[in-house]
Amino acid sequence: MAGQPPEVAAGGESGQVIELPAASRATDIALDELELVYAFIYARVGNRPDAEDLTQQVAMKAIPRLRQNAPASAIRGYLFATARSVLGGFWSTRLGLSEAELREDLMLVTPAAEPPSEEGTETVQRILAQLSDNYRRVLELRFLHGYSLKEVAAEMKSTVGAVKVMQLRALRAAAKVRLEE
Amino acid sequence: MNGKPENRLERIVTDLLRGRRLTLRGGDAGEKEAITAAARLAGTSQGPQRMHPAFRRRLAEALEQQPREGLVTRRMALVAGLGLAAGAATGGLVGRATEPKPVAGTGGEAITPVSGRWIDVAALNDLQEGHGKHVVAGSIGAFVFRRGESVTAVSSICSHLPCELWWDGHNGNLACPCHPAAFAPDGRPVDAYSLPALNTVHVRVTSEGRVEVLGTE
Repeated sequence: MAGQPPEVAAGGESGQVIELPAASRATDIALDELELVYAFIYARVGNRPDAEDLTQQVAMKAIPRLRQNAPASAIRGYLFATARSVLGGFWSTRLGLSEAELREDLMLVTPAAEPPSEEGTETVQRILAQLSDNYRRVLELRFLHGYSLKEVAAEMKSTVGAVKVMQLRALRAAAKVRLEE
Repeated sequence: MNGKPENRLERIVTDLLRGRRLTLRGGDAGEKEAITAAARLAGTSQGPQRMHPAFRRRLAEALEQQPREGLVTRRMALVAGLGLAAGAATGGLVGRATEPKPVAGTGGEAITPVSGRWIDVAALNDLQEGHGKHVVAGSIGAFVFRRGESVTAVSSICSHLPCELWWDGHNGNLACPCHPAAFAPDGRPVDAYSLPALNTVHVRVTSEGRVEVLGTE
């Protein structure tokens, strides 16, 4: 969608074709690009309500400022710069995190193609692969298989309390995993 | 019990796995690395996510509300919105869906912080009638309004995007810097957005003529 000239769009009554002015092209492309922005943000906040709010913030900040006839690459760069800024504000407000602490998330390169590679399940696998067996298992069961704590405890022949502590330690360890290597 | 880091984190993980918004409390910052890791795992465990069709429509509507003086004109946003909607999974035609909807917001609940305490924010005599004054009571930001000898207060955070509102004295309302939304001093939305009302904030006037807001340490 992103690269297509927006000559026509279905809409209106009875399949009526609406001709789009050439000037709308940059905006139309930018709106398609917001799908990538949404995936980028969702992969970092992990839930739909926050991802939607932040994507909307990016759209409202960035799109009015985009120049007409801007190339798609410039639009993407601007949108993702705005997205990183909005995400930085989100985490710093919620947790008091500085940009330096968010370096790994904020410095990620702008995705070149859809779907962005950083948003795929391979990210989870790369993180989990660097953890010890028990840590990897507890996070796999919870995040990939959706197990409750009680189910994880049963699976790992442990107690809920012990699994809860293990989950905390596993996530602390996961936070230290560097993905760029 | 809930003060233990493993319990705090478990609450956050459960919220994430249920698709809920990240609602963090003061002490959660101590586990910030683990929390961002949990968000990252929850956000990538099912692969790249696409916008929900309803959100795409809302986004198109919001873009429609952009000021005309922006580089994106109303007509462009409208047409782009139609293009978006045409690509949405619902496949439904929106026609004039980008027109503002009637106000149908709810919201307006009072903010009652856990272990809240009354914080002195101003003298009653310092407040002018018909003028919103921004005050901070610990973690609670509010606008207070004087009416005679009584005072009302609403949250200073927009009910939609988490942005700090500002007092627009010219129009007599609270305006959001992040999008064209505005609220009356009682918290009701005053434009055509279907936004919830602002949360109200507990406020009182002491016998000494001081204004106190129920805030946090």
